[in-house]
Amino acid sequence: MRKPKILMLGWEFPPVINGGLGVACHDLCLAMAKHAKVTMIIPKSNPEFVVKDLNLIGLNTIDSRTLKQVNYKDEYKTFEDVHFIPSELNPYYTERKNTFAIPAADINSQYMKEVRIGRKQAKVFHIDDLYGGDVIEKVTVFGELASMLAQTLDFDIIHAHDWMTMLAGMEIKRLTGKPLVVHVHSLEVDRGGVNSQGWVYQMEKRGMEEADLLMPVSNFTGNIINEYYGIDYRKIFPVHNGIREVKPFRTKSPYEEKTVLFVGRLTRQKGPEYFVDIAAKVLEKNPNVRFIMAGTGDMQNRILEKVAQKQIGHRFHLAGFLGLDKVRYLLSIADVYCMPSVSEPFGLSAVEAVQFDIPAVISKQSGVAEVLSGALKFDFWDINQAAEYILSVIENNILHEQVTADAQKDLKNISWDIAANRVMEGYKKHKLIK
Amino acid sequence: MPSVCFYFQVHQPFRIRHYSVFDIGKDHFYEDSEKNKWIMDKVSEKCYLPANYKMLELIKRHKGKFKISYSLSGTVIEQMELYRPDVLQTFVDLAKTGCVEFLSETYYHSLSFLYNKDEFVRQVKAHDERIEHYFKQKPKVFRNTELIYNNELAAFIEKMGYKGILCEGVDRLLHGKHPNHLLKPVGTKSIKALLKNYRLSDDIAFRFSDKNWTEWPLHADTFASWIHKVAGSGDVINLFMDYETFGEHQWESTGIFDFMDHLPREILKHPDFNFKTPSEVVDTYNARGVYDAHEFVSWADSERDLSAWLGNNMQQEALKKIYSISDDVVASDNKDLMEVWGKLQTSDHFYYMSTKFWSDGDVHKYFSPYNSPYDAYIFYMNVFADFEATVRPGAGKKSTAKRSTVKKKAPARTSKKKDSE
Repeated sequence: MRKPKILMLGWEFPPVINGGLGVACHDLCLAMAKHAKVTMIIPKSNPEFVVKDLNLIGLNTIDSRTLKQVNYKDEYKTFEDVHFIPSELNPYYTERKNTFAIPAADINSQYMKEVRIGRKQAKVFHIDDLYGGDVIEKVTVFGELASMLAQTLDFDIIHAHDWMTMLAGMEIKRLTGKPLVVHVHSLEVDRGGVNSQGWVYQMEKRGMEEADLLMPVSNFTGNIINEYYGIDYRKIFPVHNGIREVKPFRTKSPYEEKTVLFVGRLTRQKGPEYFVDIAAKVLEKNPNVRFIMAGTGDMQNRILEKVAQKQIGHRFHLAGFLGLDKVRYLLSIADVYCMPSVSEPFGLSAVEAVQFDIPAVISKQSGVAEVLSGALKFDFWDINQAAEYILSVIENNILHEQVTADAQKDLKNISWDIAANRVMEGYKKHKLIK
Repeated sequence: MPSVCFYFQVHQPFRIRHYSVFDIGKDHFYEDSEKNKWIMDKVSEKCYLPANYKMLELIKRHKGKFKISYSLSGTVIEQMELYRPDVLQTFVDLAKTGCVEFLSETYYHSLSFLYNKDEFVRQVKAHDERIEHYFKQKPKVFRNTELIYNNELAAFIEKMGYKGILCEGVDRLLHGKHPNHLLKPVGTKSIKALLKNYRLSDDIAFRFSDKNWTEWPLHADTFASWIHKVAGSGDVINLFMDYETFGEHQWESTGIFDFMDHLPREILKHPDFNFKTPSEVVDTYNARGVYDAHEFVSWADSERDLSAWLGNNMQQEALKKIYSISDDVVASDNKDLMEVWGKLQTSDHFYYMSTKFWSDGDVHKYFSPYNSPYDAYIFYMNVFADFEATVRPGAGKKSTAKRSTVKKKAPARTSKKKDSE
């Protein structure tokens, strides 16, 4: 049987990543390569970064006039090798424009750049940051270029990831008549709250309306799509994320006290304020517990003030933004992982905690709650319940062992291979492929 | 003359509330009175009342030829006293017909036989006294919590003076034989074991409303024809099930009451068939072989063993803990403490802690008043911490609060006792 050809549209992709989206796209593509021929168009790729079985096209390497790949070798000096987006930047951050209009793509956009390679001139898509600046213009130009390029490619399905690529997806669908699948990793409603009405929300709504099939990363997100975007459940097909295997390790903790860990951006969505409240409640009952908060974001100052106001600074530590190694170190000394997210489409970090055999105390308002039976789940506003769980799991070994043992069983059902199978199942169920 | 023997289990636990670690030492009222009352009301309206009326009607209609038996736990009787005396009265009415037998069990529907034989005896006696008080009959046949059974239990029960005992007809112990004869438990002299015919019982209790079942919809005449097939090869078909099958597990809209309405007539159409209560079955038929249950068996889950209550460490720990204070509770000679302790022994508490997410988990979830087995365990252990401190001051966690005894007739939360030292 012929492998179906999938044209994916992504925004973040390793090595240019900010959060989970890039890693998720990368790992999903790799797993899908077993079932399909995948071509991935992204705004920016490193020509050195080659992914086996995946045809990866960065628009920064495409001459917009010929639509041919530019052969850079090492002549294109302007490309930074690994480009991490500053972590304090809220992903997908945009100015909240309230009127929804899709601007005409401007080929003379500030984000197009003439480059000279050897004796040849090429005009390529060039953005420093994926987010920040005029994201709407970036998204528009990306859509224009990607749809021009797509007409030279052969594929059966368009598979777009999140709102940044929805415009491209819609345009390619219009030009080619191929079905559009939108993979939903995160929504404006998660990030900005349920009253979101700005440009991004409108883009998401339009994109999801025009899509033939939606693949949110959880039932939780599927419900949001239905409730806040008015999309029919019949075209929603949730696909839970997978996770990369890691080798967990333990490090001797420098603290005598048990340690409770929070990892995430300090933004409303992640519920960092609740973490402070929970900590204060736990310390009321058991003063021998430490709380570590890794991450940074727009709420950092408020968190600091709150910690001081509750007078728990001696047991509550803000670690700031940490790289992967440091996060893993913290996982290796932590006794409990706490994720009080207000609205979490999936919540990979909780699964990472499970990989380190740490009991996870997580909010029910998360996708990961659907795949972890072995977790203690509370409503994000229920501070007392969360404190109760933390105290119980710290003080009671049997509960600790039971939760972690059950979670290890859950881990067997969380993988990108399972996710890729599910994506293919969705294509078939909705008759996008035979 | 093969007999059909119906036994219905009637039980409700005193569910404990979301008892927080912050309540320990401060609040000694553990029950979720609101929920207990709500469930009692719901089950009364959907099951107990309509089913009892149906049974009464059938007994009258068939002029003594339709007979059934019940086992009512002490805790469900207490809840009827508290919340639904009208339901209790209909059971009394049933008893007066002379066609209904009430069986013996542990008052608290507990696992006490596994942990404390003295407590087991105390509970069985307390239960039988309560049954005699209301129904004017002394139980002669015993059934243990969830049909938990082994040879040792049969021998123990025989010594206590019972002539029959109910148990599950477990395939692996029947070695290819059918469960439709009385059997003699290994290691006993005269007591007889009645074995549940789980296939026919479950046709009613579980499959009745299953639209994917090839026999759906099941009608009384079809079911009676399956019963009649036993003619010539068995003495008794034991149909044992939860009473909540009628109206609660199988809703009225499934036609379960109509099915029951026709069933006695359809079964009695065959002149060789009759209905008998467990005592009559024991008096009528001889044991035709032995039943050797070395290990414990039960009627729960697909394993038919103890894993529903003892399958994980949380359950084992909680059980071990509640029986670890036996001596202190008994020594206190305090009736209130004994009652609270008894209620904490009810098997349901441990059933809710089951982590069989992956097999029979759905059934456990359906019956659980909690969000997760961890909640069940956490609340239970918090309660235990408080109770232990009351029973053994200074032994458990620090608690300076003095216990205010829990009043038995506590309607809802209003009488919740709070101590603020």
